[in-house]
Amino acid sequence: MSLPSLVAALVALPAVVGAILILITRTPLRNALVVIGGVAIAILAVATVISFGNTSGVFFGLPGGLAPGKALIAVEIALTIFVVVISLMNRRFLAPLLAVAQLGISLYLEIAGKMPEPDPSRLFWFDRLSLVMVLVVGLIGPLICINAIGYMRAYHRASPMIVGRRTVFFSLLFVFLAGMFGLVVSNYLPMMLVFWEITTICSFLLIGYTRTDETIGYAFRALNMNLLGGLGFGLAIVLLSNQPNGLDLAKLTAGPASAALLPAIALLAFAGITKSAQMPFSSWLIGAMYAPSPTSALLHSSTMVKAGVFLLLRLSPAMSGSTVGYLVAFVGMLTFLFASLTAVTEQNTKKVLAYSTIGSLGLIVGCAGIGTPELAWVGVMIIIFHALAKGLLFLVIGTIENRLYTKNMENFDALLSLMPRVSILFMIGIAGMFIAPFGVVIAKWTAIRAFLEVPGAAGAALILIMAFGSSLTIFYWGKLLIKVLSARRQTDYERSIESRVSRYEWITEGAMAVGVLLAAGGVGVISDQVVGPYALSAFSATPRVFLALDPVMLIVMLSTVLLLPFVALFSWLRPTYDHADFYASGRSANVGHVMGAALGGIKKVTLRNYYLDGVIDGALMFRAGTVACGAVLVAMVTAGMVVR
Amino acid sequence: MNPAVYGILFVVFAPVFGGLLAGVDRRVSARMQGRVGPPLLQPFYDVGKLFQKTTRQINPIAEPLLLAHVGYMAACGALLLGGTDLIFTAFIFALAALLLILAAGSANSPFSFTGAERELVVLLASEPFFILMMAAVCKVTGVSSFGAVLASTQLVAVQLPGVVLAFLLVATIKLRKSPFDISISHHPHQELVSGLTSDMSGRLLAYVELGHWYESALLCTFMVLLFNWSVPLGIAAFLVAYALEVLVDNATSRIKWQLLLRSTWVATFLLCGGNVLALFLLGR
Repeated sequence: MSLPSLVAALVALPAVVGAILILITRTPLRNALVVIGGVAIAILAVATVISFGNTSGVFFGLPGGLAPGKALIAVEIALTIFVVVISLMNRRFLAPLLAVAQLGISLYLEIAGKMPEPDPSRLFWFDRLSLVMVLVVGLIGPLICINAIGYMRAYHRASPMIVGRRTVFFSLLFVFLAGMFGLVVSNYLPMMLVFWEITTICSFLLIGYTRTDETIGYAFRALNMNLLGGLGFGLAIVLLSNQPNGLDLAKLTAGPASAALLPAIALLAFAGITKSAQMPFSSWLIGAMYAPSPTSALLHSSTMVKAGVFLLLRLSPAMSGSTVGYLVAFVGMLTFLFASLTAVTEQNTKKVLAYSTIGSLGLIVGCAGIGTPELAWVGVMIIIFHALAKGLLFLVIGTIENRLYTKNMENFDALLSLMPRVSILFMIGIAGMFIAPFGVVIAKWTAIRAFLEVPGAAGAALILIMAFGSSLTIFYWGKLLIKVLSARRQTDYERSIESRVSRYEWITEGAMAVGVLLAAGGVGVISDQVVGPYALSAFSATPRVFLALDPVMLIVMLSTVLLLPFVALFSWLRPTYDHADFYASGRSANVGHVMGAALGGIKKVTLRNYYLDGVIDGALMFRAGTVACGAVLVAMVTAGMVVR
Repeated sequence: MNPAVYGILFVVFAPVFGGLLAGVDRRVSARMQGRVGPPLLQPFYDVGKLFQKTTRQINPIAEPLLLAHVGYMAACGALLLGGTDLIFTAFIFALAALLLILAAGSANSPFSFTGAERELVVLLASEPFFILMMAAVCKVTGVSSFGAVLASTQLVAVQLPGVVLAFLLVATIKLRKSPFDISISHHPHQELVSGLTSDMSGRLLAYVELGHWYESALLCTFMVLLFNWSVPLGIAAFLVAYALEVLVDNATSRIKWQLLLRSTWVATFLLCGGNVLALFLLGR
């Protein structure tokens, strides 16, 4: 099949599967369809990539030369009606206002006849960045969907108070994937906006899945913030509609934007910043942590937030060198710093992962804003490795959470003895995020080198933020690793915990872990074949080497990849309870993690990680970041409007 | 000579350097305290003896973690001298330090755990410096490998006075000298239980010593990087700094981790940050 029809199938298939899923109420049937649909999507995604081959980018229209015509506006009207109805049912009034305002803009353009006709042969744009995104969405997304089968069963068993609506849940997961596929191949901006809003509404519904007052509140927060971003997107389209080729993303971002285009670029960047949960809009992603873990995994790794950074990377060549670009970069880098400062004080593991996501996305935004080929390379590398590692981590946390009934990292004590195989997966995920020389670390290293080339005080500030922010990430991941690696004697009950993890979870999490290891081992190939050529073509730059790996580095890398799994395997083969007890000031420690106390009594040993109490106030840091980034963001949009 | 040869030489001779340094340290410290002190080669005798002792395993994963700790410390030096990117070695350095922390934390015991958490704070306090230092050296010289920095005509220390000052502070932390010896203490008068290594014995403890010798040698190499116009001068500067550390070690009592973190971050931010800012503003 040709690329255009494969891409069309890629968008249509998950949508169709989602539509069928909502009709199926029988669990075995639904499970089967989720697995078959997921596998089909993965195969299609791989087929699309193979069919794309090694070209730098192609443009195409709908099969048969169809024009989107009034279909886009019809979908927009339907989405707006949906938002208005569901908001009013829940007595929320901001979301309908934002949605109606955005629809008003579109209708005005349409009725006043100001909307230029799109070139029917340039509706879609498939290049290496789309390729990366299609693989990220198409391989990780289905794994999360399949994992959710096992997770949701355990979830509803663990939380009997929550009314199950799994039919809707699985349907939404697939529609979400359809929206993402559409978004990452769109070249015509109004069409991209429609997909953009589909992902907004899907994430809103997924966050509010449990329908408690708390999650409904968070769902609406996510909806409001993302609709605000969507409104920015809509305004950008208004500004671009009277520019020649303004709505053609590829032409818009072919090089540094002219003064006439900068206001629209700034508004689009604003939309990207809301969707990628940068401060001051980070709170919606933190609230999303109260949703079931597959939702978190999906929002964090392959969809939603990645849509935001995807758009910013697309805009990167246009922002390059402008005041708008620098200010976007500072929103991202300050978010990285403050999210990391908040993460070190957090005990809820899912929230630590969330702050880590916000921070990693901040790095990508920082890279996109500065806009050099090296930094675009870094941004895409972080997208790939973050999607794999963070997707794995959220799925593993979900598995642990439903077996240990906790998300608090203090209770992950001795996880390696309790759930040895899950711990191996967990450690691979953690290693992928922060242990040198895994992908994210290689990206950080390259980012520091590229920031050295940024002139003036901005360069110095970026380097400082990188130095302190990276150190903070070592601290919170290190804490988590200490807890996971610690050992103690288990009870019979504890020894049986791991046997209750479902087949769906083993297969999907195992596949993700293999993905992390393969990507880490193949980082050179990924760089040379995909990410490097993308960065060169996006910036029309002269060829250069992005990642020079000498043989010694390669050996160090491979040994590091294998280190933690080996350690975990070692523990599994040599159970800890056969060994000596720890030192306890002369009163020998005893079986079951207790110490001798005064008068012959015994005390249970409780060890608590450091959260830097009294030195770093997490809530204060989050607020400080929100205020600082809010100010930079206002400056950014203003600069886009007035600075010439 | 091929840079790889320097890398191999580091792996072989760094422990000799680090062990001798520890021996001198113990004698000088003893003199400061009015004692005679052990023979110069005592650290080597100690480690030899530790290898012969029975090793009590609290958590068997400590052993591979500690071996990896020594391995990455050695690899860090080998990579640095072998011509790998300076900033990359800063990340490997942090990884090596982290492995020791994980080995201690894995015992899941009160003293080891406290030591591990404190060492993690130490890593948090010192890591920004190493990243900034490597970035600043790259910025000044315009190159990013050890050999190229030595060949550069730019006088690094002259342009990075703030970094050199901050190095003295951070070296105190990394060498686990008082007042920053919060995670592990060699002084019986301060602490009866040594923290990080409480639950390590026999060859495990020997690995920790070996790792620390590599670490000392690595810090010396970093100093040479700053005094890039003359290797002997760099080593001499490190030895002077080390003598200062010994003096400070014997003259101060340990501080709390809160103060350590605050003071180091403020110093790094002001000294290194100021220095880096000046470099960027002056257009270097």
